Amino acid sequence: MAKGSVLVVDDEAPIRDILSFYLKRAGYQVLTAANGMEALEEMGRSRPDLIISDLRMPEMTGDELCKRVKSEPSTRDIYFIILSAMDGTASRIGGLSLGADDMIPKPFHAQEVLAKVDSSFRLIEMQKEIKRQNRELTSFQQKVQEEMALAAALQMGLLPKLPGETRGAKYTHRYLPAAGIGGDIYAIIPLADGSTAMMIADVSGHGVTAALISAMVKTSFENQARLGGEPLGWAQGMNQDLCRSTLAEQFATAWLGRLDPTSEKLRYVVAGHCAPLRIVGGARGGLQRSEVLRGKGFMLGLDPQLPFRENEAEFLPGDRLVLYTDGLVEVEREDRTMLEEAGLRRICAELPGDIEAAADAVIAQTRSHNQPAPFLDDVTLVILDRDS
Amino acid sequence: MLNIQTRQEGAASVVSIQGKVNFEVTAQLRDVIRETVATVQPKLLVINLEGVSFIDSSGLGLLVAARNSVDKSGGKLHLSCLPAPVKKTFDQTNLTNYFSIFATEQDALRGA
Repeated sequence: MAKGSVLVVDDEAPIRDILSFYLKRAGYQVLTAANGMEALEEMGRSRPDLIISDLRMPEMTGDELCKRVKSEPSTRDIYFIILSAMDGTASRIGGLSLGADDMIPKPFHAQEVLAKVDSSFRLIEMQKEIKRQNRELTSFQQKVQEEMALAAALQMGLLPKLPGETRGAKYTHRYLPAAGIGGDIYAIIPLADGSTAMMIADVSGHGVTAALISAMVKTSFENQARLGGEPLGWAQGMNQDLCRSTLAEQFATAWLGRLDPTSEKLRYVVAGHCAPLRIVGGARGGLQRSEVLRGKGFMLGLDPQLPFRENEAEFLPGDRLVLYTDGLVEVEREDRTMLEEAGLRRICAELPGDIEAAADAVIAQTRSHNQPAPFLDDVTLVILDRDS
Repeated sequence: MLNIQTRQEGAASVVSIQGKVNFEVTAQLRDVIRETVATVQPKLLVINLEGVSFIDSSGLGLLVAARNSVDKSGGKLHLSCLPAPVKKTFDQTNLTNYFSIFATEQDALRGA
């Protein structure tokens, strides 16, 4: 089998013959042409891997041929060596700036040309291999991206449908995963006794693993909440579930709450999560007082023995609840400060009454505070307005 | 980029960390801790967090896993010198009560 094909272009027949002889003897397949025009015709019949071309030729010169070969996408990758009587650095640079890959000064030894062709073919093989690997990588990457897009769509499907409504309250969310797919999750589900169970969670880490666990967290929460009882029991049950099924470094911070439309109290558990805000009368919009629904508790999934504590807060008709994950308030600005809870409270102190406008305002104002730093972590914001 | 230094103090291993501990660097820190626990099997592992400006959930996860793995090999994990922002994260996640935390590295080494 021939090693590869070389097109020799020179208007002097003896030079073509000598080069052909040596190249054929070395195992190359050789095509010849007497000028640029002929070379293009020859290339129309079969595509060489490498061209060795003289510069000065009638009809079409070597530099014109080089320009055409290198400007045409289908022939651009053909290795081009210029044979030139003009020696010296200036002409070498001139030839290479035409797009030629290499130059051989005239006069030359046939052995020298052969050595150069051999080394060029090693480069050509390497380039082919790189291209093949690149194609493989690109197709692999494409597959991964498609699967990620599918997973992201599925994850979006795990979120409550908007506009959200439950007994005595309505809610909305803004969900901005950092890597297309993320470890944040929330759920709001009506319970058989007429109350509403709420959960927001942030799984440690990012990407696919965190997303898988977030789906687990949601299922675990739904199972626990449907058993009835209070958030304390849900947190304990979820902690057991997660300790059983996750690896060493994976856990979730969460906030769990139960809203009873007949009561003026909200019962909740903080499991290592950012404490939500209660905006007193916030559903009516305008300047309002806010409270932080604090509590202490471990993250879920650390250790099955760890205790949790249930808290109670006033939550009246017309009040607004703002749940979020730390990605919202922990963006480091250029001055190294972060919005943090205090900054979010300032933003939430005056929001539109309309729930969608309020959610947009929180995201927009947070972004403008962080400018130009973008959100880096998964960001989830949930606003729930209790009917007046 | 995280700057991590390890040294032996008698039967104790000390790991000092400088920088931001987030998901981009946890692999680096995990390797160091794993190797220290596996090769030295220290009675006491002290992680000095004095130079840590920020720690995210993956970093916390790593520390929790470190505690568990040291526990399993019969040793103890002590944390020392938590800067204010890190202390805040520990408080919020209640991890202040999960770890043995000391004000200085000397205290952590003495276990006082």
